[in-house]
Amino acid sequence: MPKLIVDAHRLAGPVPFDDLPVDPRPDLDRLGIDRALVTHTLSLYSDAEVGNDALFALSDPRLEPVPVVVPGVPGACTPATPAAVRAWGARMVRLCPERHRFDLTGPIALRWLAALRDGATEGDAGPGRPPVVAVDLDETSPAQLRTLADRLPGQRILVLNPGYRRLRALAELMAEAPDVWVEIGTVNTQGGVEWLAERFGAERLVFGTGAPVADDCGPRFLLDHLDLTPHETDLIAAGSLAALLGDRR
Amino acid sequence: MILDAHGHVGTWPDFLIPDPTAEGLVATMDRLGVTAVGISHLLAVGPDAERGNRLAQEVAARHPGRFGVWQVYNPHHRTPLVTDGVWGVKLHPDVHQCRLDDPRYERVWRLGLPVLAHGQTDSPWSDPAQFATVAARHPDVPLLMGHTGLWPNGFARAARLVADHPSVHLEVCGSKSTGRWIARLVELAGAGRVVFGTDACFLDMRLGFGRLALAPLSDADRALVQGGNLARLLGKGLP
Repeated sequence: MPKLIVDAHRLAGPVPFDDLPVDPRPDLDRLGIDRALVTHTLSLYSDAEVGNDALFALSDPRLEPVPVVVPGVPGACTPATPAAVRAWGARMVRLCPERHRFDLTGPIALRWLAALRDGATEGDAGPGRPPVVAVDLDETSPAQLRTLADRLPGQRILVLNPGYRRLRALAELMAEAPDVWVEIGTVNTQGGVEWLAERFGAERLVFGTGAPVADDCGPRFLLDHLDLTPHETDLIAAGSLAALLGDRR
Repeated sequence: MILDAHGHVGTWPDFLIPDPTAEGLVATMDRLGVTAVGISHLLAVGPDAERGNRLAQEVAARHPGRFGVWQVYNPHHRTPLVTDGVWGVKLHPDVHQCRLDDPRYERVWRLGLPVLAHGQTDSPWSDPAQFATVAARHPDVPLLMGHTGLWPNGFARAARLVADHPSVHLEVCGSKSTGRWIARLVELAGAGRVVFGTDACFLDMRLGFGRLALAPLSDADRALVQGGNLARLLGKGLP
């Protein structure tokens, strides 16, 4: 069993299509998951700003906020500026290009991310290190993420919900873009996690579930039964994520 | 006894399966304590059912007691079927593009063996409503609805549609399923109507097994789902 388990992809709040727990903490307790990085469902299924406010209001050290950023022209973006993103102090932010209908590799998104990465925004109150960008693969494509990585060298990207059907394309992305990490919860095909670990190292794989919309039971069980060394399993369970986030705690 | 109702060996064209081997499955089963898994060869699900079925039989013979065979019936090729040494018949209406309630499957129903069929909500080929249709025509044929319709937004409807057809069981594998949904299906349909499957090697057996192992179920219900129900359905057909 891993020493520490952190779910890098968790949701809090209601969803419109099911009756699911709005508070992730009871399931975290039940499954022995120590902490989670959390996005509020209102940011995904309603209003990004309202969801982010609800997320920050959770104010529980077990639940690290992953607010949603919507890059755009003034009046079409959340928050108002890249400087406001940095003021959050979040170590990871989530982009939803499909859901929020913006171009992930368009000029505006690239300018926002460059501003976050370079810390060039006046009045920046955020941490010294720019936030990791998390994107659900269903919201983009491996090719688009490769373009993003090419255009913004050094930008750390976490691919959420990679699934199992695009393993070849995911491998190409990981081979070509060293600053890409991958969440394992939906790498569902037989031996898929070990296959990625063998090629790219456990230090680029991160435990995450997407629960409660996606399953947490199977991925949690898998952590205890990976055909990897205890050190590699500990990396996937928490260590890789800590390194990705630049953990200074 | 832990019985996995829904398994495969072999490769599939849509995506990479890192470990498509029977030996890989056996190693995983040993680690998890899975007694046996019912398999169809993915070649049989695909273009060559007859050859794929032979390969599945060879796998079962190489690992006595660990594999049951779901022989695939392709309605276009009128695949030869046997009645001995198999768990039953596997149908894949979506791959074969032949509706589950199509008369071309009559040979299968007349065989009387258990049938595992791919089920997919809103599919023109395998929507759960077709399982109810077929069960009404052939109430004596044990019928497993593969994936319980595959999509979570159809799970409750699937359970409702077959509620009055006791020959139909809900098999729970699938990449979109959750431990929570397995528990809900037990609540909706009764533990006696829900059957464990993983879809390995198509999917990772550990994820499917873990989904059931950590689902919020009583021990008695979990025992029925993870093997008791399938053992009852297969009877002497167990390897």
